[in-house]
Amino acid sequence: MSEAAFLSAVADTVFFWAALVFMVAATAAGLGAIRMALKGEAVTSLMGVGAFTTVAGVSLYLISLPELFNVGFARDTAIALLVVGSVGTILFARLFRTGEKS
Amino acid sequence: MIAEIFTVVYAAAVFAYVSWNIKKGSFVVDPSKLVLYLFAAFLVIVGALYFMGNDLEGTALAVMKIGAAGILFAGVPPMIAATIGLFRFGDEYGSNIFYVRNHIAGIIDTVSSLVMIFAGILILRIDLVAVGFFFFLFIPFTGGALANAYYYVNQRRSEK
Repeated sequence: MSEAAFLSAVADTVFFWAALVFMVAATAAGLGAIRMALKGEAVTSLMGVGAFTTVAGVSLYLISLPELFNVGFARDTAIALLVVGSVGTILFARLFRTGEKS
Repeated sequence: MIAEIFTVVYAAAVFAYVSWNIKKGSFVVDPSKLVLYLFAAFLVIVGALYFMGNDLEGTALAVMKIGAAGILFAGVPPMIAATIGLFRFGDEYGSNIFYVRNHIAGIIDTVSSLVMIFAGILILRIDLVAVGFFFFLFIPFTGGALANAYYYVNQRRSEK
């Protein structure tokens, strides 16, 4: 095996395990976010759901990469989660702020 | 087997360096210098392998993928720290603990988006970079809107 082929095999292995370890850490953070969403009051729940959306979106985007599991449809779900999740969090926070005034 | 051993050693080195930064509370090596050192190391490794007779493009892509793996490993200690913080700071700390949790949620968002941006650059996935950057732009507005909402809700509750 040439040096380039060996290096390519090493790079594939390292990237796979790095993404896997990152996804496990992100899952742990997601569990904390779910706990916060379930235990807290309305705004805290919104924050927990927002953090969980982020974690789920990044993990889904990672599993859609061809270097990892190549799950094609996960990419669209991840984009929707990341974009709509952050915009929705801002909108609902505005609603919480102004909604109780009236 | 060598690849797995390299993975463990590489992960341990990156974890140790990032944890050292977190424990110190500031950068051990200034990021502007660190980027230059890493770029110099990249050039040296790719150049050495090229002059040993290897394909330049394949070598560069492999080294960049190892760099992307380093970015992913570097995102793990802040995520674990954020997880510990989310489980540790309960309601017994008072109503202002919300702002601590908001900060922790902001750390999760920032780490996720920065990992997407830099790993996307290094594995040449522009869509990953674009989504990560778009999400990165929203993070301060999300945190600010949540803190603002909580402040006014809390204020109204105390007035009643």
